[in-house]
Parts: sequence; structure tokens; C-alpha cells
Amino acid sequence: MKTSVQPPKWAIDFLEWFCPDRLFECVLGDLLEQFENELELYGERKARRRFVWNVVRFFRPGIILRNKFKLKIINTIMLLSYFKIAIRNIRKRKLYSFINAFGLSIGIAFCILIYLFIQDEQSFDQFHVNKARIFRVEEKSYDRWSEDKEYPYRHSAYLQTGLMQVLKDDLPEVEMGTRYNSGGRGVFRYGEKVFTEKLTYVDADFFKMFSFPLLQGDAEKVFKDKYEAVITPAIAEKYFGDEDPIGKAVEIDVNGVATYTVTGVIQEAPANSSFSFEVLISQENRMFYERNINQWGNYSTPTFVQLTEGADMKQFSANLDKVIEKYIAEDLEEWRENSNLPDDVKLLELQYSNLSDIHLNTKVSWQKTSDPQYSLILGGIAILILIIACINYISLALTTSTARRTEVGIRKAAGAKKGQLIYQFGFESIVLALISMIIGLGLVVVFLPSFNEFTNKGITLGGASISGLLAVSFAVTLLIGLLAGSYPAFFLSSFRPVQVLKGGFTSKLNAVFTKPLVVLQFALSAFLIISSVIMYRQMQYITAKDLGYNKDQVLAIPTQTGYSKEGNKMVERFRNYAAQEPSVISVTGTNSSFNQGWSRSGYEINGEQKLAYVYVADPYYVPTLELTLVEGRNFDPNLASDSSALIVNEALVRDMGWENPLQEHLNWREDSTGLGPKIIGVVKDYHFLSLENEIEPLLMTMNTKDAGFQTTMLVKIDHGNIPESIDKVRSLWNELAPDKPFDYTFIDEDVAKQYASYKRWMNIMGLSTAFAILISCFGLFGLAGINAMNRTKEIGIRKVLGAELMSIFVLLNKQYVWLALIAFTLAAPLSWYVMDQWLADFKFSIAMGWELFVVSMVAGLLVALATVSYHAIKTALANPAETLKYE
Amino acid sequence: MEKTYLGEFEELVLTMVGILREEAYGNAIVNEIRGRMEREVNLSAVHVTLYRLEDKGYVKSSMGGATAIRGGRRKRIFTITNAGLNMLHAIQEKRMELWKLLPQLKFADL
Repeated sequence: MKTSVQPPKWAIDFLEWFCPDRLFECVLGDLLEQFENELELYGERKARRRFVWNVVRFFRPGIILRNKFKLKIINTIMLLSYFKIAIRNIRKRKLYSFINAFGLSIGIAFCILIYLFIQDEQSFDQFHVNKARIFRVEEKSYDRWSEDKEYPYRHSAYLQTGLMQVLKDDLPEVEMGTRYNSGGRGVFRYGEKVFTEKLTYVDADFFKMFSFPLLQGDAEKVFKDKYEAVITPAIAEKYFGDEDPIGKAVEIDVNGVATYTVTGVIQEAPANSSFSFEVLISQENRMFYERNINQWGNYSTPTFVQLTEGADMKQFSANLDKVIEKYIAEDLEEWRENSNLPDDVKLLELQYSNLSDIHLNTKVSWQKTSDPQYSLILGGIAILILIIACINYISLALTTSTARRTEVGIRKAAGAKKGQLIYQFGFESIVLALISMIIGLGLVVVFLPSFNEFTNKGITLGGASISGLLAVSFAVTLLIGLLAGSYPAFFLSSFRPVQVLKGGFTSKLNAVFTKPLVVLQFALSAFLIISSVIMYRQMQYITAKDLGYNKDQVLAIPTQTGYSKEGNKMVERFRNYAAQEPSVISVTGTNSSFNQGWSRSGYEINGEQKLAYVYVADPYYVPTLELTLVEGRNFDPNLASDSSALIVNEALVRDMGWENPLQEHLNWREDSTGLGPKIIGVVKDYHFLSLENEIEPLLMTMNTKDAGFQTTMLVKIDHGNIPESIDKVRSLWNELAPDKPFDYTFIDEDVAKQYASYKRWMNIMGLSTAFAILISCFGLFGLAGINAMNRTKEIGIRKVLGAELMSIFVLLNKQYVWLALIAFTLAAPLSWYVMDQWLADFKFSIAMGWELFVVSMVAGLLVALATVSYHAIKTALANPAETLKYE
Repeated sequence: MEKTYLGEFEELVLTMVGILREEAYGNAIVNEIRGRMEREVNLSAVHVTLYRLEDKGYVKSSMGGATAIRGGRRKRIFTITNAGLNMLHAIQEKRMELWKLLPQLKFADL
């Protein structure tokens, strides 16, 4: 050798470890040769660095896989032998293996489900080819009603109807644009077939921008005409059966019936799409389109644009500012002056989000957004369950370790190194984890439909996701195997052969290790128990709370008339029709039912801006919902002046600070007196909003003068035979309006829908809790069994000496009660904190009293006791003659 | 001849093995590619490719002499087999056929 400089020894060892023997010599030779050359070129340090890097580069499948598994450390034959021993051990201790496999498989199944959930969340809108160039334009506007005075802004995706054309005309970056309004249902008629369908309003570019393939029709030509419709295959099938839908004329009722020609069939949007549609028609057909198009300040239309390739985003932002400047600056200044808004704040700004980001953006209101927190919570639950399962594995392995000491002793005496034993035990836990993975995958297949229901998703297995899924489950499995197996492996392999084989070892529990583990496991379960109990109580509270009105047996039936006088006539005629029908108790018309959207109106009092919810009512509204009038009277159908009178709720009276509301007027809109409508009645506060909100000011108006705001009919039916009553209502409807479909919902169901997502969370928590408890109990059962077994002789002696059965039972259970109590003490503050956050979402929530914690604790303790009692009773009852026979 | 696909890099390495003859071992090929093609390649990539070519039967290998600079390690010398040579010829012919089909640029078109 010319030089004394050598490449790092460890790098060569590493190479030797993974490189196949056959190739090692020539590879190392080449590397050394290269090293010598580079030593002259780059100097010592760099050459050494490059040597290491080059070695690492050899760590690749093309080299490693030529090994034929002749790893230096474990050779194939030993591996086979380990496998055999693992299987034998698993079969020998069936209960113990079952507990482990059961816990691990549920843990893995949970992890996979949560992975699928997160993957689905991330995959939203990712399938659009042009997704990188598609942006949603949003407005950020000054909100003087805002409760947050630090940041009084509102972010909204709803823009002025005419903005899209402005963007397309004024901004060079904008290549295409479409508005998208999902909303409203319309009557769809083809021949004899009449149903209401969900209508979606878009522009012609929609079909070019987004990757929803047109199965029939031409994306370049669709929507050239105002009266065209594009439908999904399901709608085509429903109305036309096997016939070709293209060119068919259908009648759609949007603000009056018009004939549309079907010019395209579009593939249904997948579940992970922010858009959904059934019948697409042109934006121009939207209600008040003509009126809204030039009206700045009327924000109702989400707008998407596709930018040109390589568009400069800075320029785009600047151009959006210019749009505001050009079209609306004057209006904004006027607004600022009229309302005394601060001079220095920007009142309105246009911003944008990339299409890929809108699903997880909860700041801007949009249908189908989702809080990324959900993914975190679900992930947290999965990890909790995994930890519980791993603890089972560790504590059971440690407590059964006595049984395996002999094996370890013999292996060591026969020349096994500590490292080999670690590999053996580690390998064993990986085999068990792999078996669990297979069961876990099976569980995923079984549970996926219920999981979808819980999470309101449409996740399917298969397709492109399956390889990722398998990779993740495999990785999780290996991780669990290593995590759960490493501690027992190190522990078991550390036994000294001389001591073990001499036979003088004691079979004591490794209490120092197992007790903290059991406490941790129990604390995690206790956390889940307390949380689910609180969630359950809150849901119960919400469903049982007196809302101030009677929501039972009230049907909400849309009049299918839109805002027109016809709606009021429909309600009127239906009421007259139903007068002879005993199963219909009462009929009223309103502008919207519960949970079906609201309108709010502003009014000014003493220079202060206030807002109130507006319900269009009639004289039958109060009795139908059984509202209580605390002052004044209901609307009177015979008093013409009532058409401009108001009934308000107590919240509004409080808000206004009225001493005597019946003397007051509300200058809510113009009327002949110049004072605004007169108050004729005050209703007791009732929860017309969900319980997440306070009871807000509300006003009811008869509004017969303008007419045409009764779009929903509320029908109270007899509580006797409900299906029969509904049939009666249906037949009345069909007589009265044979051309309109009969859609109805029960308002109590609509109200319950407001809490659907909370209910789903409660279900998920409940299910996870059940599994967590089950897994912990299995672990405890195993532990208690081993503990009891170790103490059989002690118990035998105690019995011989005259111990009572009860005292033995207490003796065996005492420690678990202590452990459970400690665990609860640890878990309670954590659950209190987390649940406090959850309950903060509700303006009306239960108080977290100590009794809830006590109930949870007692329940947990009972479960734990029931679990360990089996062994305690068995041991206590055992005949000492049997147990002490061999002593 | 069996239709086995040969990647661009595989073809390059195979050609180098043919060119270098008795001197065809890992490092020499790296240096040759660097020298003639002005292209940086990693030693490990060349090794893996050589083994893959050996699997396919286009090269065979034998252990050569050791030198001090290699710390006493022997070289693995690769030689191109008849199958490898045929493969290179076949690729060349196919390419020429395709080349003839390519319309030649005429100044008139520009």
C-alpha cells in the first residue's frame, strides 16, 4: 500500500453485511480503487465522505436481493427454526396468544381504517387533471356583526353573480371560469315521470375545466343554449330507461316551467369530490339571475377559474385588487360613509384558494369541508388502541416469562448468544403481529360499511389504493411487532443460564414493570369511558331538551312553487281541503322549515345595527308548533291590518330593551305609519336554531301583502296511525296538485340532522371505547390468571390455615381495584379537559358533574372486577389438597 | 432471437464491456463512460447493471487479477457473450431501419 489513509472501517463492515459474498470482493475492490483515485483528486476528507456515500449507494435492491437471504446474522435455517418455535409457542399458550392476536388485530384494523379515512380526506378533488391551475375565488369582507373584534372579517366563497364574466374579460390570467351553485330542487318531468331532482347550476366551461368525463355529448358544445340540461347516468336511467337520453326534451320547473333539451350525460362525481350533481343546467336559469348579474353586493355564487399555464400568481392577485377598484370601490366608500366604518380597513378583498385545498379549509364556508382535526382525533384513537394492545403483549410476555426461562437457559447453555435470543423473541412477536395483520385486514373488510356510515364517507377497497394500504398495514405490523416484542425480547434474553438451570429461581410477577403498564392501559380506557359517557349524556340532553315547541308529528312539505304567489295559494287550498280530514290537525305555511335554511334581516334602533331571523308565518303557525304566547295575541285572519304586524320572540324584546313591547314598532321595513310594523304579540323563546346557538332575536310576519313567501307547508298530523295519516296527506296532495311530487320530511328528523356529525363522533367514540375496554379486559384477564396461578400454593396454605373464602377473594382482587383507581385519577383531568373543549361547541350543554366521573369509574371498576373475578373465584374455590399435593 | 428488452443504460454498459474487452470491470467502465460520454454514473448503478446483464446472459464474468491499489481484492472481469453481441447488432439494425424512415430535412421546408 502506498498510503496509510484508509476508508472508514464501519462502512466496509456495513458493505460486508448486506453485500452478497459472491460480489463482495469485486465491489469492495472497485470501491477501494475509486477511493485511491479520489484521494489524489479531492483529498482525504472528501474521499472518505464519498466512499461512505458510494457504499450507501450500493444498498439497493439490485444488490441486496442477490443475497438469497444469506444474511450473516441470521441464517435461513435458524430463521426457519425460530418460525417453528414461534408457531409452537403460539399454539401451546392458546389463551395468551388469542388475547394478543385479538388485541393486535383490532388495533391494526383500526389503524388501517383511520389510514383509509385520512387518505380519503387527502384525496379530495385530486383527480382533476388541471387541479393545479383551478382556483376558487373568495371574498374577504369586513364584518361589522362579527363577534371577533380583533379580526372582524368574513371569508366566503359566495361571490357576485356577474363577477365571473368580469374575471374572464379583465384578467389575462383567466383562461376559463365557471360558477357552481348546488342547491335547490326542481320538478323534473318527462312524460308520465315526475320527481323533484337536485339541480346544479354551472357554466359551459365547467365541463372543460373539471375532469368529470362527459359520457355522451360534446364538452365544447354543451350549454351553448340556455335551455340545455346535462344529467348523470342514474337520472338518464330513471327517466329514459334504455332510450338514448341525448336530444330528449324534458320539463324542469325553476321559477316556472320551461322545456330543456338533454345534451350531455356526465359521469357521477366520486365520493371524494367537493362537487356533486344530478341535473346540471345553465347559471342563466337561476332564480333572479338577471337581477343579480349587475348587482354588486349580492353574494350568492361560488366561482372557479382556471388560469393559463404558468400564470403569475402575484399578477393575478394584483389584478383581482384592480377588479375591486374598478367595479365596487365607489359602493364600498358609500357603505363606509353611511355606516361609519373605520377609514383604514379594507372592506372587501378578493382572494383565492387552490382547488386541492378547499376540502380541508374550514375557514371559508363550503359544503363538504372537513376539519383536519378529525383526522388527528381519529389517528389519536387508533394509537391509543394500539398502545393498549401492545401493553397487553408486553405484560403478558413478561408474566409468562418464568415458563420460558428454562428454554432460555438451555439455549444459552448450548451456546446461543444473547443477540440470537433477542432475534428469536423479536421474531416471535413479528410472527404474531403478522397473523394479527391478516385477521385485522379481514376485520377491515367486515367493518368498512359501518365505518363508512359512522364517518359519512364512501370509502371502497381496491383500485390504486390497495398497494398503499398493504404497505401501510405491513409497516404498522412490523412496528407493532418490534415495539411490543423488543422489551420482552431483551428481558427474556438476559436470564443467566446457571441460575435458571439450577432450578432455584422464583416465579414472582415482574410487578415493577407490569403494574405501571396496567395502570397506563387502564387510564387510557378510563379516558375513553369518561369521554363517551359525557358525549352520550350531551346527546341525550340535546334530544330530550324541551325546545319550546312541539316538533312531533309535523310534516314539512315543500310547495314546489319557488317564491311565487302560487305557494300561498297552495297552502290555503290545502288547508281548506284538509278541513274535513280528521287525521290532519293543522296546516300552516312558512318560508322555511327548521334546518332548511334561514333568512336574516337587519334593522336599526338608536343608530345601532341589529339582526333578526325572519319567519313568514300565518295565523296557524303558532298553534301548529304549539308555541306559547307570553304577551299579546296571534295573527288574526280577519284583521287586514295584521298583514303588516309582527310577532317577535322574547330574545328580540330583550335585545331592544322594550318595557312594553305591545306599544312598540320595529322599523324593519317601510310601512304607512313610517314607524315600521307594530308588534302584536310576543312568543316565548324557542330553539328554532340548533343548540349550538343561543336563542337569537326572531320576528314573524304574515306578509300577505307581497305574498309569495310561503315555500313550505307544515302539516301537523294525528299521532294515531302515522303511516295512514301520511297516506291521507299524500292523497290530498295528489288531488290538489297532481303535477307536483309529494316530498316530505318530519321536522323532528330535520332537527336531529343538525346533530348528525356529533352523533357520528359519539358513535365512533363509543365503538372505540368498547374495543379498548374489551382489549384491556382481555389483557387483565390474562394477567389475573397468571397471577392467580402463581399464588395457588399460597392460597392453598391460607385455606388450610382457615382463611375465609371472601378474604381470599378480596386478597386476589384488591390490587386490581387499586390499580384501576389510580388509573381513573390519572385519566379524569385529561378527559375533563378534552370534553370541556368538545362541549364548548354547544351553547346549551350539560354540566360535567362529578357524578358522571363516578358513574364512569364505577362502571370501569365493575368491568375490571368481573374480568378478574373468574380467576379469583376459581383459585379461591380450588381444593388445597390438589394444589399442595406436590409440595 | 428471443425478444428481451434492453434499457438505454444497459445498452451503454453492454457496449462498454464489448469495447474494453479484458479490461472490462466495474471501475473501468465508470471511467470509460465518464471519459467518452461525458456522463457521471455511479459505481453501484454500473455494478447492478452488469449483474442484470449477466442474469440475462449477455455477459459472463470471471475473477481477474488483484492489485495493490485494490487492497488485494481481485477484479471481476466481464466479457460480452455471443448473445450480447447479437443483441447489440439487432438494436443497431432496427435503429438504422427506423432512421431511414425519418423524413430528411430539406431546406425548402424551412
